[in-house]
Order: sequence, then structure tokens, then C-alpha cells
Amino acid sequence: MRTTNRLIESSEYVHFRSSVPLRNICVDNSKGESWKVYDAGPKIIRSPVIFLPPTCGTADIYFRQLVYLSSIGYRAIAVESPCSYWTVNEWCLGFKLLLDHLRLEKVHLFGASLGGFLAQKFVEFTYQCPRVISLFLCNTFIDTEIFDLTETSSLFWLLPTVFLKRLIMPSLITKSFDPDIIAAVDFVSERVKSLTQADFASRLTINCSASRVHIENMRGVRAITIMDVFDEYALSSPIREEIYELYPYAKLAQLKNGGNFPYLSKFEEVNIHINIHLRKFETETCSPRLIQTEAVHD
Amino acid sequence: MSTKKKVLLKVIILGDSGVGKTSLMNQYVNKKFSGGYKATIGADFLTKDVMVDDRIVTMQIWDTAGQERFQSLGVAFYRGADCCVLVFDVSLPSTFKSLDSWRDEFLVQASPRDPENFPFVVLGNKIDLENRTIQSKRAQQWCQNKNNIPYFETSAKEAINVEQAFQTIAKNALAQESDQDIYNEFPDQIKLPGDNKLNNSDAGCSC
Repeated sequence: MRTTNRLIESSEYVHFRSSVPLRNICVDNSKGESWKVYDAGPKIIRSPVIFLPPTCGTADIYFRQLVYLSSIGYRAIAVESPCSYWTVNEWCLGFKLLLDHLRLEKVHLFGASLGGFLAQKFVEFTYQCPRVISLFLCNTFIDTEIFDLTETSSLFWLLPTVFLKRLIMPSLITKSFDPDIIAAVDFVSERVKSLTQADFASRLTINCSASRVHIENMRGVRAITIMDVFDEYALSSPIREEIYELYPYAKLAQLKNGGNFPYLSKFEEVNIHINIHLRKFETETCSPRLIQTEAVHD
Repeated sequence: MSTKKKVLLKVIILGDSGVGKTSLMNQYVNKKFSGGYKATIGADFLTKDVMVDDRIVTMQIWDTAGQERFQSLGVAFYRGADCCVLVFDVSLPSTFKSLDSWRDEFLVQASPRDPENFPFVVLGNKIDLENRTIQSKRAQQWCQNKNNIPYFETSAKEAINVEQAFQTIAKNALAQESDQDIYNEFPDQIKLPGDNKLNNSDAGCSC
């Protein structure tokens, strides 16, 4: 399969990379590292939907959402955090600075795996002054204990890339015969090569240091959708049940299959679910979408 | 809890606007009926865990806007459907006449592997109304001609037959889903002529 039909060489991806620029934004000067940001759709929108990648993912893992959503008037942004954040708190502070820099007061968050966990922690972090309107959580978790690495995580910073990569390998192996799932894994495996030892180490440290979502601090969020696939993926069934229980009123956007990266493999269905999730804000000022009857000032 | 794989059933409700698609879904999932009419925009869905043949399955029921033929969401919307529910209003003949085109629309868009045997269920809704114009016989006739589609007469308002109808929908959807699984999980299974012999001989080497 590593011959012709590779997603990374597809016209959709090439078109995305040639039409949406990758911006490097440094928000905390002391550290010198910057956020990677793809910002698609009308800039007049101040309440976009922001996509947060999983541990092994780069921001462009969401290119199919950015292409689709921006084509129907949404402002959609995919970000990737710098390797200088080693705790949930540092990450949240950095992300808040990024929102300030982009002059985005309130946002909708889509997070997969670690991205989903951080999205929830960011809601907690901004409890006093809510910045998150809605959450779309995909294949994610609410407690880092599930990885059973909380004790070793303090040593990740000194471990070589080879070892760290081994920790994320389960996500990059699929037993599926589904060509879309195979193509998605191939794409992620290719893009993961751009990550450095520090990227892996910092992300895995956040991913595995003891931390848990506290529901009592999440009241500001107005809508939650939980996306889950019914085929094999890296997280087991009890973890999914746990997140369903935490958010009994969430909308459940379940897919028959999709593997670890449904937003790549089954993007059309995922896009329908994102559209349904965001559509309820359409008549409000916090909508991430510019309705076509208005003039477009991009 | 069953140790079997978790199952998701995708059910799509089609029919003209105002026949009660949203109401039927709400009555079944939330046990609620609201008299006011609000047109559905695009599509939306609800999920419900149900017991079918002693196993718990998750039913994802898609409600659609009757006004538009669903081109805006395209093929992806119909993909993986396990059952299609066609709804008409027993007091409005035009909604009954539309059943043919809704069925065709579904078969074209979803292009199921075996269109002849794809599970449809027809619901004649609003039997609580007095000015009924489509008699049971006529609807049953139509269903028989289409390879014996199960037919239910329902009232979303009075909660008549809704539970029973959806139980049949779930059952037929599950049968369809299990069929598909066989295709998906073993796409290249090849049976070798010697296979049987090998499995049956429990005493080691045959060489």
C-alpha cells in the first residue's frame, strides 16, 4: 500500500497545504518554542472551532475537517503545541495565551485522545472566566491513570526517541482490512516523523502524569458530543464507559468503525457529526460559522 | 453483559415533511410528544440502547428533513445504514404515494450490497386522526409488492405501536448488520480443499 494511493500524496492534502499556510506563533517568549497553527475559513469569526491533535498527531491530521468546514463558512483552526510544555497547567496557560494572541474570546474545541483530555482540562482551567463554548471529544479519556505509566512519566524527558516512539506504537498498528483505516494510519505514521524527541517526551509526560478531569469545574460548557468508534482502537471499552458516565447528557456520535483516527479514515461521517454539533449555535453570536447571506470579509 | 462485539445499528427515517418522523423518533427514544410542528433542518439523530435477541445493541436513529431530498449530506449520510424506515401520514394520500420515490432514493444513495433484501419498515403514522384516507389494505398491498416489507400503523401522539415497530426495526437491522460483518471481517477468506481433513484429525501428523 505504500505505492500510489497514499493520503499524504493525495490532491486533497496537497491542496490543503498549498492553500492554508502553516503559521508558527510564539506566545511565551521566554521559551522560544512556537505553536503550529493552520487557520482556515473567515477570519471575521471570533468563535472558531479549534482542533487539538492526539499524542502521535500533528495539526494537519485534521486537514479533512478544515477543508470541509471552511468550505461551508466555518472558521476552523488546527493547532499543535510547542514541546516546551511539560504539565497540563503549562499547556493550558500556553493555550490561553494563544487564544489571546489570536484574539479569540470564546471557542469550540475538538480534541482526540490527548487533545480531548487537554480540551477538558482547559475548560477546568478557565472555570472562572469560561473560554470554551462546546466540546467535541473523540476517542478520548478522563484520567491519565489508564496508561499506567504515571510513575515512569517523570523520566520521559531523558529517554531516547526510539523508546518514546514505542509507547505510541499501539496507535500506529491496525489489524483492520479497511483501506480507509490503513490509509489513515499510514498518514499519521508518515507525519509522526516530523516530531522530535522533545515533542514526544513532553506530550507523553503530560499524557501519563497523574491527572483527572473534574466535572464540577466544567459547568460553562453548553454542548458536549462524544465520538467513539465500535471497532478496535487503542483505548479499551471500560474507558469509553467512564467518559459516557461522566457526561450523561452528551450527544453520542458513534461510528461503526474508524480505528484510532476516524477524522481521517471516516472523515465524511465525522464531518456530518461536527456539523450537527456546531449547527445549534448557528443563530448565536458564538457560532463558528459565517452565514452566507452576510458579506464575507476575509 | 455479553462478551460479543458491541453493535451499532444505523437506522434512517425517510418520508415527506410533516408525516411525523421526528415525533416517532422522540416518542420512541424520549417517550415524549410535542404537538407543535417544527421542521427538521438537515438531519439529526438520537441513540438508544435496546435489547434484541438477548443482546444489547446501540441504535442510532437518523431523522431527516422531509423537505429536501438529502443530497446536501450526500452518500456518506446513508453509508452503513442497517435499516430504512419509510413513514407516511394515513390521512394524506400524497405522502403515501411518495413512498416509492423515498425507497428508490434510499437504494440509489445507500447502494446496499443486496438491494432486494435490504430491510425496510413502513410506518403509517397518525392513526389517531379521524380523517384517515389510506386504508390498511392498500398500504399492506404496497408492502407485499415490495418483497414483504413489514408494515405498522402507528401514532406517535398516542404512543400506539411505536415500541413494537422499532423493536422490529432493531431486529431486522441487526440481522442485516450481522450479514455485513461477514463481508467486512474476512474479505479474503479462502477455503482450501484440505482444510476440513486437517481440522478433523485430532491425532497429529498426517504425513
